[in-house]
Amino acid sequence: MLADDDEHRARALVDTLTREAPVTVVGIAPGEMLPDAVIRHAPDVVLVDMTRPDRDALEGLRVLSRERPHPVVLFVDEDDTSFMEEAIGAGVCSYNVGSIANAEVKPILRAAVALFRQLQATRTALETAEARLRERALLDRAKQLLMRDRRLTEPQAHRWLQKRAMAGGQRMVDVAEALLGQTERKETR
Amino acid sequence: MIPIRLGIVRLVDSAPAVVGDAEGLFAAEGLDVTLHVEPSWANIADKLAWSALDAAIIVAPLALAMSLGLREPKRRLPVPMGISRGGNSIVVGPAVDIDTQTTDATQAAQAFAAWLRGQRTPPRFAVVHVFSTHNLLLRHWLAAAGVDPDRDLEIVVVPPERVVDALDAGRIAGFCAGAPWGERAAELGAGRVLLGTSSIRPDHLEKVLALAPDWRAANRDAAAALCRALASAQAACARADRADAVAALLAQRLDLPVAAARRALPGGAAREHVRFAAAGPVPQDEIAWLLGEMRRWSWIRDHEPPPDPATPVEDTF
Repeated sequence: MLADDDEHRARALVDTLTREAPVTVVGIAPGEMLPDAVIRHAPDVVLVDMTRPDRDALEGLRVLSRERPHPVVLFVDEDDTSFMEEAIGAGVCSYNVGSIANAEVKPILRAAVALFRQLQATRTALETAEARLRERALLDRAKQLLMRDRRLTEPQAHRWLQKRAMAGGQRMVDVAEALLGQTERKETR
Repeated sequence: MIPIRLGIVRLVDSAPAVVGDAEGLFAAEGLDVTLHVEPSWANIADKLAWSALDAAIIVAPLALAMSLGLREPKRRLPVPMGISRGGNSIVVGPAVDIDTQTTDATQAAQAFAAWLRGQRTPPRFAVVHVFSTHNLLLRHWLAAAGVDPDRDLEIVVVPPERVVDALDAGRIAGFCAGAPWGERAAELGAGRVLLGTSSIRPDHLEKVLALAPDWRAANRDAAAALCRALASAQAACARADRADAVAALLAQRLDLPVAAARRALPGGAAREHVRFAAAGPVPQDEIAWLLGEMRRWSWIRDHEPPPDPATPVEDTF
């Protein structure tokens, strides 16, 4: 069973899992509570996106209700702490349901970790690229301002920002942002 | 500056962490604290266990459960200080048509037990984690009125930020959750506050500070500094004249409903308040009480070594 609200990632994971092994993947019905879905499908393994708040509902299912036949236990590999740290870092965890062994679960969790990490890296790269674009736009606007107000050339404006940044132990983009903020306040007054 | 990753959950009792950060109390101790707002208690537990967090504000029985190995992975978590006392509310939805005026726990329990006896199927009641004060206090209160919490109702786990929706949608008949969610349910008309958990056990221990064992071993001075900073923040949070500002910070940083948060802080209009005046080492009698209740419901089983109340607690003050 896969509990992941990210449709794109969920689809990719289903593709990977079903391609490599005889695995059937089931999901959660809209509005269905996570433990109810576990009881309905009685899966062997539950893969959970760690950003889900309802992960707590799987903890101690056996303690909570005597009638529920299947123990649900977090996958833990104490002999492979780096793998566990990697999984936590990627934001995915896994529960064993019933009597399934860790050895059968680990390859499934490993595939999920790889995919979560890959998508996380893509997302981080995208965010970095976007941040860089934003910063460049800020720098350009600050330079234009300096060229307008102080009658500097573009290279002079660049050096002006660079000097300020070095003197203040700041990044150029921070200096640019502060300058733009100041000017904005002055001009709206 | 020593970097520390401090885990919290979106609740009023995370206030000392938020205030410590906003008012520079961590920085004053030479600490560079980053707050990690986690969506679940399970994340807090796993991240402490697998070195993705250095410290966390955690619900006390979960820290005990980890130390005792009731929840994998087993980790002996140092718990150097208490963070809050009280602050949880038992809230009932419209289906529970009983008088909610009384603040007496026994009277409220009798009324609730009478209502329960009239139900054909066990109604669903939510707590926020199986190893939570909420679950233990709810069970204690019900059992005192002759209710079997495992048979007469079905206790389910719903994360704190979703209990109000679950009640509103009729998926649960009631819940026991921390502030601001009880007040929030009342504010939205989804339910009524039946009882504050301080009426069940006055001044009960609620959240504690827990440390990642490996981090603590390598950072004893930083751990002590963290406790000092949090103790200063607690003192600020305990003041009624600061509560407006604290509520505003909680709304801004944790996206909590501001009016409901304010009512649950000192001097607020809620029936149950979060109290932060409990700075200092975790009280041993409270730990003993929690362990006793965990044994009562057979969570601590026979093959488990008899827990020494002092086991998970270490003093860094």
